[in-house]
Amino acid sequence: MNPADVAQSLPTIVASDLSLWTLFWHAHWVVKFVMIGLMACSVWVWAIAIDKWVLYTRNARAMRGFESQFWSGQSLEDLYRTHAAKPSNSMAALFVAAMQEWKRSFTGQQRSFAGLQMRLDKVMQVTIAREIERLEKRLLVLATVGSAGPFVGLFGTVWGIMTSFQSIAASKNTSLAVVAPGIAEALFATAVGLVAAIPATIFYNKFAAEVNKQAQQLEGFADEFSAILSRQIDERGAG
Amino acid sequence: MQMRTASIISTALHVAVLGWATFSFSSKAFETIPPESLPVDIISDKDFSEITKGVKDTKKVEEKPKPVVEKVAEPPPKPVEELKPTINEKREVAVNKEATPEPPKPEPKPVEKKPEAKPEPPKPDEIADKLKDDKPKPEAKTEPQPLPPKKPPPPKPQPTQKFDADKIAALLDKRDPTRSAATGSEINKNASLGAANANSARLSQSEIDAFRRRVTSCWTIPVGAEGADNLKVVFRVQFRRDGTVERGPDPVEGSASPYGPAFADSGRRAILQCQPYTMLRPEHYDSWKDIEIGFTPRDMFQ
Repeated sequence: MNPADVAQSLPTIVASDLSLWTLFWHAHWVVKFVMIGLMACSVWVWAIAIDKWVLYTRNARAMRGFESQFWSGQSLEDLYRTHAAKPSNSMAALFVAAMQEWKRSFTGQQRSFAGLQMRLDKVMQVTIAREIERLEKRLLVLATVGSAGPFVGLFGTVWGIMTSFQSIAASKNTSLAVVAPGIAEALFATAVGLVAAIPATIFYNKFAAEVNKQAQQLEGFADEFSAILSRQIDERGAG
Repeated sequence: MQMRTASIISTALHVAVLGWATFSFSSKAFETIPPESLPVDIISDKDFSEITKGVKDTKKVEEKPKPVVEKVAEPPPKPVEELKPTINEKREVAVNKEATPEPPKPEPKPVEKKPEAKPEPPKPDEIADKLKDDKPKPEAKTEPQPLPPKKPPPPKPQPTQKFDADKIAALLDKRDPTRSAATGSEINKNASLGAANANSARLSQSEIDAFRRRVTSCWTIPVGAEGADNLKVVFRVQFRRDGTVERGPDPVEGSASPYGPAFADSGRRAILQCQPYTMLRPEHYDSWKDIEIGFTPRDMFQ
């Protein structure tokens, strides 16, 4: 028999290309859904990351600027006036909140010194909590994607391998050409999961540390400012 | 506000990465190349025997030349065997006629080559004598002595020396029949049209079956052994060229059954009793001169 004839009579094995698009397109719809979801997660994660990155760097720079302004010997009234309209950073917001409470206590007809110190502390605590909440907003998304992403991808892989095994059983052919595309499709889901999860985890850890650092700075500033105000109260009370 | 720009940047980033990945990966798409098909012919043992057989119808055939190999193996030459020799040998014969007159030439060279040629001085005389003795024989049946090939060797690197060595080997073999194997292998190497003793490399199934049937027909199974399923005996038998048993049959394998020894003995008797086995063709002698063959009662009753 002529070898050429034999070769022609063989079932023509489709030369499968493993480009991302074909991998995605040939996958089972469950796997497709998983992949689309993970891609969306990845987009969202990066959007959050970019947003937070800008927010934290700006906030940190502004806080440094405000702190140097604060300790520069400028009168607190002036400082309050410049920042009262729109506090540009967390520390300014904290300062403005405290100053508002202070002013309110003095502008009224009756001077209420008794609980002023306590009220100031309360106001500052509340402001710090609010600022931290603002900084931490959406960070949980990063944590969730970072921890759940690989599992979701793994689910897609398991599902894809299950279906590819079923197709192997159906075609009764275990040659690599038959098995490989299905396995590759399935593994692609895990790849997408990891692509989404790895940056998410890294960003979450970094941002959590950043938030922690800024919270520490705010606490420190609040304590210092509280000490200054408390000295003022005592002086005025004595006088 | 801020979040929206971040989302747009992120989306653009992903699209860019995906686009790059799509192109870079698609270029690496692997093709599954169907494995090259190998042409396979299924041939029977008989076909195989015929393939390895030398071609008869080439050039001139002068009478019946004796193939060196066979001559050495068995002193009394039989006409059947002589018919078989391959072309090479025939050629050799033609060459040898010319060559025969010059026996002394080869002798000095062989000494260099073959250590077998121990006694150098006596050889020439003996060989000459042998040649003389042999000559009458060939005239009766086979005229020329198949001396080693003179012309065919050119492909070999050292042509002259080899001719001589072969010649001497052939001559020596005449004196000493047991040396057949060595000469045989040398000549086979030369053969391009067919190996001298490769008429059939294997015993064909039909021959084995015929032999087995013959033995079975002579076999008287000991009483009680018919029912024993797992009985088996393997004999090693060495034959002479005429199909008679030379050595054996020696049981080389048997079953540990109470009937085993009796079964083997009966088989031995059967093989000895029914010789000679003419269905074993002499031209395939090489393949059946020493065989092992197994029998089970089941074979015989099926």
